[in-house]
Amino acid sequence: MSEAPSPAADRSDEPPPTGPRRILIALYLIFALAATARGIVQVATTFHTAPLAYVLSLFSGVVYIGAAVGLTSERPWSRRLAWGACGTELVGVLVVGTASLIDRAAFPHDTVWSRFGSGYGYFPLLLPILGLMWLWYSRPDADT
Amino acid sequence: MIDVLAYCLVGAGLALGVWSGIQAYRRLPTNDALMIAAIVLEVGLVVQSGIGIARLRAAHILEPVTFVAYAVGILLPLGVGFYLARIERTRWGSIILGAMAVVVGVMTLRLLQIWRSDGV
Repeated sequence: MSEAPSPAADRSDEPPPTGPRRILIALYLIFALAATARGIVQVATTFHTAPLAYVLSLFSGVVYIGAAVGLTSERPWSRRLAWGACGTELVGVLVVGTASLIDRAAFPHDTVWSRFGSGYGYFPLLLPILGLMWLWYSRPDADT
Repeated sequence: MIDVLAYCLVGAGLALGVWSGIQAYRRLPTNDALMIAAIVLEVGLVVQSGIGIARLRAAHILEPVTFVAYAVGILLPLGVGFYLARIERTRWGSIILGAMAVVVGVMTLRLLQIWRSDGV
């Protein structure tokens, strides 16, 4: 919203830089692709061995896609979608991460969120925090 | 896959990441040399994926579907980074390109790992 390409002279203060948002978009696209592809391959080939883990992979992929779309588009619902997706991710990675440490038997196969995303350099934990920080920092009513 | 090519690509990805990082540290957007280096790296990745997929049948690896997914997916990050670095003419453009180059390097290692998992 605040980054809408309309003539940016209606306010005296500078619009927030577009850079952080764009790097978040790039990282979210990578994770959307990685998690969705992983989920689809797992569900299609070996679904019966660990249904919970594979459904979670697919779900996390869809959430990453939601975050990427929310950050990229500039519709009235975009920010709400991004908030929802980043919030869901943070809750998901914390719940699944904790659960996978407490009860290893329930998560015999890794998901993106297992052990707080250690298989992906902890980016699954870091990304939603960065995303939420950005959404908070760039919120439209920040300086009114 | 060819081991030497893969290791060269991992090294190139990390080197491009460091180079972009230095550029970002200097508060500069990407320059032509960086963008050309990214294109060269991407060409190397295309060659690697092509060889890998062509040899897939003979290789008898454990997860051929995953391999193909990675071999195709690995071509995308630099494209995204290249596009965003071109529209983002600030230091952030350099950070984006560098991050995508590191991602590509790590993905190459993973690709090599999948390639070596024997399915026979």
